[in-house]
Amino acid sequence: MDNGFALWLFAVSVGTSALGGMLGMAGGIFIVPILTIFGHLDFHVAAGASLVSVIACSCGSAAPFLNQRLTNVRLAIVLETATTLGALTGVLLAGAVPVSFLYFLFGAIMFLSAKQMFAKRKDPLLKKNSVAISGLGLDSSYPDRGLGCEVAYRVERVPMGMMLMYGAGLISALLGIGSGVLKIPAMDTALRLPIKVSSATSNFMIGVTAAASAGAYFMRGDIVTAIAGPVALGSVVGAIAGARILIVVSNRKLRLAFVVILIALGIQMLLAAFGVQVIRSAA
Amino acid sequence: MEGLVALLLRYGTWIASIAIGCGLALAVFDSRLGTHVATAGIALFILLPSLRVLLMLVVFVRERDYRFAAIAALVLTIILVGIFLGKDTRRS
Repeated sequence: MDNGFALWLFAVSVGTSALGGMLGMAGGIFIVPILTIFGHLDFHVAAGASLVSVIACSCGSAAPFLNQRLTNVRLAIVLETATTLGALTGVLLAGAVPVSFLYFLFGAIMFLSAKQMFAKRKDPLLKKNSVAISGLGLDSSYPDRGLGCEVAYRVERVPMGMMLMYGAGLISALLGIGSGVLKIPAMDTALRLPIKVSSATSNFMIGVTAAASAGAYFMRGDIVTAIAGPVALGSVVGAIAGARILIVVSNRKLRLAFVVILIALGIQMLLAAFGVQVIRSAA
Repeated sequence: MEGLVALLLRYGTWIASIAIGCGLALAVFDSRLGTHVATAGIALFILLPSLRVLLMLVVFVRERDYRFAAIAALVLTIILVGIFLGKDTRRS
């Protein structure tokens, strides 16, 4: 194992995961571009390492949300049937799709994420006359600390949510990301969940979604310990650190930094898709 | 259920992280042994979400909530299919 490279991987993962953690999202979207553009790693190996880091972040941060009863575990398991099926499709496609297309798709997803950083998320208005579509007992309530009371909510439009989740699972397996970009609209717009419930439940599901494809990547030999080990460990450390730094830095500056990095890396990914290599390999 | 799942994920993350950390540190001295330990940690991370689904399946069965037990079993099956898919398309 090359110790210098392992240290670099560790440092990069701490940084990206801390930055992501400060904004309440996984830093996975940065890991693949940095590993492929600066680390000159194979796309599938980078995606494999990133998937392990996504699982680590999801599992590592789930406990507090669960204990505060923000995570809707029943809804999560229902939606996971769609995300894991999507992941399975992605695993099958990942081998067949040309790598240049994966770079292109990744760049496009990064721009979409940058755009989403500016969109304001709103809690849904409670509607009294909406018809319950599912007899599954998914509707629930959560204790809201800000309001100091229990807030009941209803889960709406499950089929549409499932379709979006299938897409999220597919993208996640292809690109090695948590694909919050697709999960957040699915949760907010289709299912109309309160933001806190949506964030907690989405974070909870990401682990299982990534595990469905990471298992296949692992068996395929695309998860290289020398790469994935430092990345996973760095992500856990970064996620813990990110939650602590959150209080010090202003949210607006952070968002701006996030968007600038997203766009810069997104351009690099698009260039890579068309075979332009800006940063020459030193080796 | 939430409490049990939270416990599993919290301790699972700790054990897997410690295994990877020790493995990487060991690899500085003994590359082969260190890599094995770190790989075990990574495998545990990959298995952890499936263990979580399995735990939910057991709780649903004990609560006699068979519909949700079936849904959990379905998710578990899909993940297993994924593992076998990866095995069949292994690159050499």
